[in-house]
Amino acid sequence: MTLTDTKQENKLGFFVRNQTIVVPIAAIFVAFVLGGILILLQGVNPLVAYKAIFSEAWFDSDGLLRTFQKTTPLVLAGLAVTVGLRVGLFNIGAQGQLISAALASALAGIYITNLSPIFHVLVALTCGIIVGAIWAGIAGILKAYRGVHEVISTIMLNSIAIGILDYLVSNPFKEPDQSLQRTKKIAETAVLPNIGVIPFGFILALIICLLVSWMLNKTTAGFRFNTVGKNKFAATYAGINMKLMVVTGMLLSGGLAGLGGAIETLGITYRFEPAFNAGLGFDGITIALLARANPLATIPAAILVGTLRAGGASLQFETGIEPEIVDVLLAITLLLVSAPILAKYLFKGKAQKSANVTSGWGN
Amino acid sequence: MKRMRTLAGISILALVLAACSSGSTDTAAEDTAAALDDSNCAAAESFCVGLVTDIGKVDDKSFNQSAWEGAKAAAAEVGGFAKYIETTDTKDYAANMKQFTDKSYDVIVTVGFLMAEASVAAAKENPNTKFIGVDQFQGEEVANLTGLIFPEDQAGYAAGYLAGLLTKTNKLGSVLGLEIPPVQLFAKGFEAGATAANAGVKVTTVYHPPADNGFGDPVWGAAEAKKQLSQGADIIFGAGGGTGNGALIEIAKAEGAGTSIFCIGVDTDQWGTVPEAQPCLVTSAMKGLSEGTADLVKAVFDGSIKGGNFVGTTGLADYHDLASAVSADIQAKVAEIVAGLKDGSIKTGVTL
Repeated sequence: MTLTDTKQENKLGFFVRNQTIVVPIAAIFVAFVLGGILILLQGVNPLVAYKAIFSEAWFDSDGLLRTFQKTTPLVLAGLAVTVGLRVGLFNIGAQGQLISAALASALAGIYITNLSPIFHVLVALTCGIIVGAIWAGIAGILKAYRGVHEVISTIMLNSIAIGILDYLVSNPFKEPDQSLQRTKKIAETAVLPNIGVIPFGFILALIICLLVSWMLNKTTAGFRFNTVGKNKFAATYAGINMKLMVVTGMLLSGGLAGLGGAIETLGITYRFEPAFNAGLGFDGITIALLARANPLATIPAAILVGTLRAGGASLQFETGIEPEIVDVLLAITLLLVSAPILAKYLFKGKAQKSANVTSGWGN
Repeated sequence: MKRMRTLAGISILALVLAACSSGSTDTAAEDTAAALDDSNCAAAESFCVGLVTDIGKVDDKSFNQSAWEGAKAAAAEVGGFAKYIETTDTKDYAANMKQFTDKSYDVIVTVGFLMAEASVAAAKENPNTKFIGVDQFQGEEVANLTGLIFPEDQAGYAAGYLAGLLTKTNKLGSVLGLEIPPVQLFAKGFEAGATAANAGVKVTTVYHPPADNGFGDPVWGAAEAKKQLSQGADIIFGAGGGTGNGALIEIAKAEGAGTSIFCIGVDTDQWGTVPEAQPCLVTSAMKGLSEGTADLVKAVFDGSIKGGNFVGTTGLADYHDLASAVSADIQAKVAEIVAGLKDGSIKTGVTL
């Protein structure tokens, strides 16, 4: 073995060891390059297009506020999916949990009155968390005691949630004298304020993110979660109560998604309307995969998605490119990130060890 | 290896889901890429027209498209400049309008009933900009906001009258977008017209459940149309953007389309905009979206615009190739009804 070989080995080794960071960054870079080619094909300079997105999303006070507002539920939805993945559960029902919680917190914001502002917000947020947790808990119980696969049950619970919510906002909780199916506005005391360009909910999401990361990495409960996720047979052998872990994992996951929905209602929309919150839960899957099930990494992943979504309007205004190009960028990124087989081919056998560490999802 | 396969499967599933949750990815609009000259909208001699669509695309073949065509044509006629933004999230209405107000556009057209509240707020915030709210009834007058509204019940009534005379099974259907006033007027007018023509007729009416894709869900529209056909309906009114288009296209595929099964389009003459529906499309309940939008944009240009409401026109589209399926007798009666609605001698009796 010559000296240069060893050097190359080391470089490659560095990339393999830091795969979790290198792969997403490389994926984003490649996605922007490919997206840039698509933009170029439409006769627009990609640099101008990207500048339009980022200057709107980051360097305009209204835009920056919207970036944070859009990022907040994405962080929480991403965390919800992440926690599930850590326990080996693929919760694709974050959407259903989020929207049920959004309605629950709206109702708490409307019909519970005479509370002091801070307390009212806490009560409304808690209502959202509980409803989100219950909605996911149903899937958890079905999985633990009846062996129903959570992918099936959570996605079906999404549809059930939509049906029930449609009924509730069209009938008992419909705003009077209003042709749209939506609830009344929440009381002033239940409003989550913005601190300058930073929504209070965003700060809350960051704190929760740190707590979840600490819980997963530093506590016994987190150790149990990870053990179950990596090898359920070993976990059972070690005396971990599998059923309990599955149910609590889903409860936690649903509670996080629910918090996302509640913050959205109390901080941005101030009422529940089915057209709001569209696709947020599904974006959570994108973010969890982009973050490779690392809770702290959901923050930059969510900021990326939030930025692209907030800058979409300016993109069309400045360049005429349709805002859906943003979804193309995200799809390419996700394709690259979640294609470990491709990575395995590129890194050959050297990636084997690292790949195994990150592939304990959803069995 | 087994584990890798599971992982790959999940990744693919996730991708499919991610794709489901996001919109379509059409190519860029050549209309806007061609001319990008709004650098001096603030100047008195320039005239800039901005348009914000409701959720949905500017090429939706009905609602948004008609309004955009009207705005574009009017801008071209007076030597102005026009540009649009397509809304992808209902929470972004205000932000999208702000793009135009930031550049001092002269007039902003906001398309759709769902934007009504956001338009009022934006108009109050930007008193020097004129706003045109398509399908937005103004309860309280805002000086710089004009609501372009239509007597949809009249177009629905005429279409219903035709359907009532044409039906053999005495069962009619309507597949609709969201349950909001403009759509309700169409639907109730259709029912009233059908019953006026044929007292024994039964109309099944179905609205899209509340969601952000109420006007962009052709799959749902097609499924509902199929259901109504199987229940014996022989003429179906598809009203609701892409959702209604899905219904029309499904009916066009049915056996007997154009001879015993018919469909009725909405907003524009959909013979031209949805050619796939031609086999069954006997007519369309039209509203003069393009004309109304163009008239108001020109009124802003010459300074004659007023706040409050502006009532546009409605009517029935041509029978085109299916004229032979409608007897001369029926054609004459329907023409009589259309004329009567126009001069006010016939009332639809529809209230919301």
